[in-house]
Amino acid sequence: MKLLKVAKREYLDRVRRKSFVIGTVLGPLLMGGMIVVPGLLFEHTPESRVNIAVIDLTDSLYGSFTGALDDTLSNGSKMFALRNVRSTGADLDAAKKVLSAEVAAGTLDSYIVLPRNIVEKGTATYFGKKVSNIRTLERIENALNKTVVVQRLSKQGLDYGSVTAMLKRVNIETVQIGKGGEKANGFERMYITSFIFIMLLYMTILLWGVAVQRSIIEEKNSRVVEVLLSSLRPFDLMAGKIVGVGAAGLTQYAIWGIFSIGLTSYAMSTGQFAQYVSFGWSTIAFFILFYLLGFLFYSTLFAGIGAVCNTDQEAQQLQTPVVMCLAFTIVIPMAVMQNPDGTFATVCSMIPFFAPILMFMRINILMPPVWQIVLSVAILIVSIFVAGVVAAKIFRIGILMYGKRPDVREILKWVRRA
Amino acid sequence: MLELVNVTKRYDTVTAVDALSLRIEPGGIYGLLGPNGAGKTTTIRMIMGVIEPDEGEVRIFGKPFSERLKDSIGYLPEERGLYRKMKVLDHLVFLGEIKDVPAAVARERGRKWLKRLDLADWADKTVEALSKGMQQKVQFISTVLHEPKLVLLDEPFTGLDPINTQLFKDIIEELQSNGRAVVLSTHVMEQVEKLCKRICLINKGKKILEGSLADIKMQFSRNVVTVRFSGDRERLERYPGVERVRTFGQELTVTLKAGTDTNDFLRHAVDSGRVEKFEIGEMSLRDIFIAKVTADGGEVSDEAAKSR
Repeated sequence: MKLLKVAKREYLDRVRRKSFVIGTVLGPLLMGGMIVVPGLLFEHTPESRVNIAVIDLTDSLYGSFTGALDDTLSNGSKMFALRNVRSTGADLDAAKKVLSAEVAAGTLDSYIVLPRNIVEKGTATYFGKKVSNIRTLERIENALNKTVVVQRLSKQGLDYGSVTAMLKRVNIETVQIGKGGEKANGFERMYITSFIFIMLLYMTILLWGVAVQRSIIEEKNSRVVEVLLSSLRPFDLMAGKIVGVGAAGLTQYAIWGIFSIGLTSYAMSTGQFAQYVSFGWSTIAFFILFYLLGFLFYSTLFAGIGAVCNTDQEAQQLQTPVVMCLAFTIVIPMAVMQNPDGTFATVCSMIPFFAPILMFMRINILMPPVWQIVLSVAILIVSIFVAGVVAAKIFRIGILMYGKRPDVREILKWVRRA
Repeated sequence: MLELVNVTKRYDTVTAVDALSLRIEPGGIYGLLGPNGAGKTTTIRMIMGVIEPDEGEVRIFGKPFSERLKDSIGYLPEERGLYRKMKVLDHLVFLGEIKDVPAAVARERGRKWLKRLDLADWADKTVEALSKGMQQKVQFISTVLHEPKLVLLDEPFTGLDPINTQLFKDIIEELQSNGRAVVLSTHVMEQVEKLCKRICLINKGKKILEGSLADIKMQFSRNVVTVRFSGDRERLERYPGVERVRTFGQELTVTLKAGTDTNDFLRHAVDSGRVEKFEIGEMSLRDIFIAKVTADGGEVSDEAAKSR
């Protein structure tokens, strides 16, 4: 099969390119970075003992404040070392001066002044060299808050514990009802999962589709094409290229897949990611199916465009409508998500230009009737076939045309004649 | 072996090839000659099935063109092209594979040919590292790697130095003596004069002359005289045996009618003025081409007339 020889060459050429290696490595690194880095920042900020002095002008809060600020370090020891600095209020400035000097010298991290009217006004002041560690500050604030609230409540004769119990918020838990039973936190996860996969589909179909077009234009310009056509049918050349490039795309997915299995297991373990993303093997299977169909359909169109153009700039004009069709499927998902089995979504997911992405999305959100999936896939396959025949005709004539780009009327003439 | 019957190809308003009929037999090199734009490349592309004729028929090995035949034809296009990033030997293997040569065989033959053409050290270099001339050698190897029965070479010598031109000529001779049919198309007619057994001259898509080179030479020789002369030019040209006079700087190329004695014409020239040079020449292919085109009332393109 000469087609396969072309595909093999194209495939090897693709996967050996620097851009492939970079894209393949950078893709998951970026994705992973987005998932892992925030987790790392939250989970593993090196925390150490914090020395804080407290000037308690009320003379009554220090005890309960230390009790409330009971956070511990990872080794179990207390995180905050508090020191009570007595002050009558008159010598406040002098006391602050001494503590500031200690902070400057590094023996003290910071100090807090609790004013006499803190229970009424609810303000205290934190003095430190840097106020950057938001987590630490948050802990202090929470503890102080609790201390003050307890104080206020007890003045009214109320118990803190029973009040918080009374104020407990009501939460609504979302459960998606699907074929496989109930999934907790379904909707949120599903939207985010769908969105990630849709973007991936869109980007890879576009990327690899245009790669086919580029490669054809390149071959035209380097005049390799005439040698090739003296050995094989134009269809074999076109189809071989599409298969080779598509296989390179699948390889990239495979590498990413392996990456993400490791990544997901990590992300799941930190708990940060798992609550947003959920997918199973069926999602992956549908993803690959619709990637292949979408890629075949679009890359055939791109191949036809490549055949009639001599430069990438020229091709950009012609490819605009095709890219717009693809981009349209990224613009409308909100409408589809809101009403995944409505007429609009159903019809759109049958149109070959939109089907790869929209049908995949519908499957993800709300499994459509099987006949709709089958119909959509069948329409896509027929469209690929039709596009392939038309593109091959255009390809056959266009591929050896150098110089002026033919207009649409001329291209139609080729299609009819060939 | 290869037959074209009334083949016509039109592009918009231009008729690139006009009812061209050819017969090419195995053994011997067939020269397809003509100035640029005569329709040579279009003709060859039609033979290769790269483009289809609007009218007429191409028959190869007695059969109408089909995809299967591509494997028994070797084609060196005028516009050379190779994948720049591929390694030389890998490239040859790929081009062999798409002619249905098993990879291992293609690799072995490729190595042999690279050695023969002094490129053995370049087998693992990428194509882009090669000079133009070297790339041309690689391309040439790819046209013969699958041992085709019919070899079509479109301007095979452009860009080659004299040594490599000779090397190519030797190899082409060798191909021919192995019983293959070789069709060589070029606009540099002098280059192939000694190489071709049969030729076809085409101009503006039309065949103007075809036959064995020896016959054609015989037919056109001994009636062209180059004269450098000062004196009564009009009187010289009035000689009854003169068919046509062309001026090239100081010199006149006089074509005499068949049967005219050159001695009589020399006597007439001496009577008409001072003869500084008088040379009886065999006509070059280019002269024959020009003579034939003008005789048929056609126009010779500048391309063909210049640099004589």
